[in-house]
Amino acid sequence: MAAVRTTTRNEEARIGSGARVHGRIHGDGDLVVEGQVEGDVALRGNLTIAAGASVSSEVVEAHAVTIAGSLEGELNASGPVRLAAGARVRGNLRGSAVAIEDGARFTGRLDCEFDLPPELGGAARAEPRPRASSRR
Amino acid sequence: MASTVIGAGITIEGDITTDDDIVVQGTVRGKVTAKEGVTIEHGASVEADVTGSSLTVAGALTGNVNANDRVDLQSGSRVIGNVKAARVTIADGAQFKGNVDMDV
Repeated sequence: MAAVRTTTRNEEARIGSGARVHGRIHGDGDLVVEGQVEGDVALRGNLTIAAGASVSSEVVEAHAVTIAGSLEGELNASGPVRLAAGARVRGNLRGSAVAIEDGARFTGRLDCEFDLPPELGGAARAEPRPRASSRR
Repeated sequence: MASTVIGAGITIEGDITTDDDIVVQGTVRGKVTAKEGVTIEHGASVEADVTGSSLTVAGALTGNVNANDRVDLQSGSRVIGNVKAARVTIADGAQFKGNVDMDV
């Protein structure tokens, strides 16, 4: 369930590369965007923004989110977020874990619960928490 | 394979425009415009004006339809709205309320 990659099921929703949606998208299932979406997205499933796709919204809510295309707006993920190489993201980002791969561009605030390693200020605490940072 | 699929759990409130075809299994309120075929599957609910080259309905549709080629209302479909297409079929078991204009 915590897998970053979206499972391909028969009921998967897909906004194809030639498609544009202007409005609000919400629901239970997973969604793959290959085209353009302008408007808010609220999913209980996983969201994939494929390479070449663009999403522009005030708020995007989903479980696990994988981005290889472009996203403009606030992202609020209950699961892990992965910005793949080639991703362009502008906006504040929140997830249970966030991975930014080499070649991804991100402008915004990152809100993710993990402990800094000691050399990055974690030593300033009285005692660093023993729990390792969530994912690297 | 359709390039755009609105899955069963998904609701779109707004406009969808595509150069390809589109399959709706979920809910759409707004407007649907496709250069190619539009399919509204059984269990889907569409409250929208629909434009496409062809339209196949097995679910529920409320709205006006404008198809360049043909419209097929399959058994079990419920359609309220005006249909404008050169070729229209309404299967036994389909519910339809509206005007048909085949003089395109």
